[in-house]
Amino acid sequence: MAEAGVAVAAVVSLGTKSHENKSHDRVGLAWRDALAGGILANLDQIDVIEVIADEYFHAEARRIRALNTLARQVPLYLHGVAMGLASSIAVPPQRLDAMARLVNSVEPEGWSEHLAFVRAGGVEIGHLAAPPRTDEVIDGTLANVAAAAEVIGALPQLENIATLVLPPASTMDESLWIGRIVRASGAPLLLDLHNLYANALNFNQSPSELLARMPLDRVQSVHLSGGVWIDEPVLSGGQPTAKKRLLDDHIHDVPDDVFVLLAELAARAPQPLTVILERDGVYPPFEHLLRQLARAREALAVGRAQMEIEMQMQRAA
Amino acid sequence: MSAAAVEELLARLYTDAVLREKFLYDAERTIADLTLTDNERRAMLEMDRAGLAMAADSYAAKRGQHRSAKAPRWRTIMTRLLRKPE
Repeated sequence: MAEAGVAVAAVVSLGTKSHENKSHDRVGLAWRDALAGGILANLDQIDVIEVIADEYFHAEARRIRALNTLARQVPLYLHGVAMGLASSIAVPPQRLDAMARLVNSVEPEGWSEHLAFVRAGGVEIGHLAAPPRTDEVIDGTLANVAAAAEVIGALPQLENIATLVLPPASTMDESLWIGRIVRASGAPLLLDLHNLYANALNFNQSPSELLARMPLDRVQSVHLSGGVWIDEPVLSGGQPTAKKRLLDDHIHDVPDDVFVLLAELAARAPQPLTVILERDGVYPPFEHLLRQLARAREALAVGRAQMEIEMQMQRAA
Repeated sequence: MSAAAVEELLARLYTDAVLREKFLYDAERTIADLTLTDNERRAMLEMDRAGLAMAADSYAAKRGQHRSAKAPRWRTIMTRLLRKPE
C-alpha cells in the first residue's frame, strides 16, 4: 500500500500562483466570514489565508469566483474537515470529487485534511475522531490519501488532531503512527501545535518531548489555536475527581506554551514554515488577532536564531 | 474488516447516547455479539471511559453548531423558493 502513496509523492503542492514565495516563514490566519473585514483591511500583515473547503462545496458560483479572486491576491490554502482520510474505510468518492472541483475552481496554493475518521457504518460523527492507531488503519489511510491525490491532483497536507479519548485498540503511539503515514504517503505534515499540546497534557506526556518525536522534517505548515480545561465526568459507580482535560475549542487565545512549542519547532525544522492562526468564535477585536500573529513571528524568529546559534557552534566544534 | 468494525463501534458510541450508557454500565454485555478480535474486544473493555463520555459530549456540541450554522442558509433557500415571481 505504501507504494501507492509514493507514486503520487511528486505532486505535493499545486503552486500555480505568481505571488507564491514559500522560501521563507509565513504567518497567516484562517478565513472566517466574521473576520473578513479585518483580514481584507490588513493583508499587509497576513502572509497566507486558509479557507474551510467544505463550506464552499455547494456554494453559489459567485462565492467560488470571490474565493478565486482572493486566491490571486494572497496565498490561499483549502482546508478540508470531513473527508475522513484516516480510516480503514474508503472516503466516499463524492467527497473527493467535491474537493477536486473546488481546487480546480479556486486554484489554491495547496489543500489539507485531517488524520481523522468522521464516519463509519453509515454513522456521521459530526467531527474529527481519532481512529485506532494500527497497521490496518495506516494501510487504509495510505489508500485514501493516494486516491485523494489522484482525483484532486495534489497530495494534501495531513493534520494531526486533538482527541479527548485515547483511541482504543491502538498498537502504536501518535508520533510513530503519524510518522509512518506521512513518510509512506509522501504527504507533508500540517502540525497543529495546540492539538499536540492538548494530547500531550491530556495523556501525561511532555509536549516538548512529543514534539521532538514527531516527523519534524515533514512539517510544512503549522496551526495555532487555543482551548479550555474541562472537568472529567463522574461515571456511574465512580467518585468525583479533580481531573481535567484540555479541549481544543478554537475560541480562546493561543497559550504561551504553544508559542514556546512553535519556537522549539522553528529551532529544529530548517524548512520554511507556514503558520496559520485558527479562531472559530468569541472573536476579539481584530487588533488582538494581529498581535497573536506578531507573537507567532516572534516565536519563529526566536527558534530560527536558536538554530543559527547551534549551527555556528557545530561549525566551530 | 475488523478495523472497520472498531471504527463503526466507536462512531456509534460517540453518537448514540443510549448505546453509550449501556456500554459505560456493562461494556462486556454491550459488545458481546460484535465481530471483534480478542485483542480488539479487550481494548474496548479497557477503553478510557471518561474520555469516551467527554469526546461524545464534544462531538454532540459540534453537531449542534453545524445544525445552527446551516439553518440560516436553509432559510435563505426556502425564502427564495417561496418567493413569488415578479
